[in-house]
Amino acid sequence: MTPPLAALLAWIPFIHPLHLPEGARLWMFLPLAACVAVVYRATRARTARELPRATLKTFVNIVVGMCLIAIAAYAIHEGVLRFSRG
Amino acid sequence: MSMKQKPDPTIRTIQAGILAWILPGAGHFLLGHRGIAAVFFIAISFAYGTGLAIGGVKNSVNPQANRWLFLAELGVGGYTIVGYVVSNNLPNYGAKELSPYVSFYPESDVAQIYLAIGGLLNLLAILDALTRAQTGGLPVFYQEMTPTADVPSEGRK
Repeated sequence: MTPPLAALLAWIPFIHPLHLPEGARLWMFLPLAACVAVVYRATRARTARELPRATLKTFVNIVVGMCLIAIAAYAIHEGVLRFSRG
Repeated sequence: MSMKQKPDPTIRTIQAGILAWILPGAGHFLLGHRGIAAVFFIAISFAYGTGLAIGGVKNSVNPQANRWLFLAELGVGGYTIVGYVVSNNLPNYGAKELSPYVSFYPESDVAQIYLAIGGLLNLLAILDALTRAQTGGLPVFYQEMTPTADVPSEGRK
C-alpha cells in the first residue's frame, strides 16, 4: 500500500486533523464567505425561494469588499516600507 | 359559540430557541419553515464541520486550549457538547511526543476561524428563530426592510 493511501485509510474524520494543501488557505475564504452570505440572507428572507439571488449578491459584495480591504492593506504596507526607507 | 384563544407564543419561542441551539435549523423546522431550516442546517453545519475536520476535535473543542474559541463554538450547543466529550476521551501526549490529534499552523488557524464563525452564525439563526416564533413567521429584519409592508396583525404587538 502506498503511504498516502495508507494515511488516508487511517484518517478518522474530526479526530485526526486534516492537512490543507499548499496555498489552499487563501481559497478557504470563499466557502466561509458563502456560508456567511447564506445565513445572513436567510435571517432576512420570508421563504427559502427568495434566497439564491440575494445570497449571490451578498456573497459578491463580501468577496469584493474583502479584496478591496486586502488591496488597501497591501498599499499601506508598501507605503510604510517605502517611507521608512527614507 | 366559544372563541378559541390564540396559543401563548412564549412556550413555542423557548422550544424554538433551545432546539435551534442544539441543532442548527431545528428551531425553524419546529416553526414550520422547512426550507429556511434546511438552509441554516447545511450552511452552519458545513462551516462547523469543516473547521472540526481541519482542526481535529482534540484542541479545537477544548476550553483549556482556547476558552474564547470554545465560547464562540457554544453557539452550536449540540455539536460542541459532543465534541467536548470526544475531546476529553482522546489520549493526551507528552510535551516531547507529537500528538496525531492536534493540528498546527496554518491548519489550526483556518479551523478556528471556521468553528468560531459557525458558532456565531448559529446565534444569528437562534435569534431569527426566536423572532419568527413571536411574530408568526416574520424574519428578524422584516419590518426594517419594508416599513410600509402589509404585516399580518398577529405579527405585531
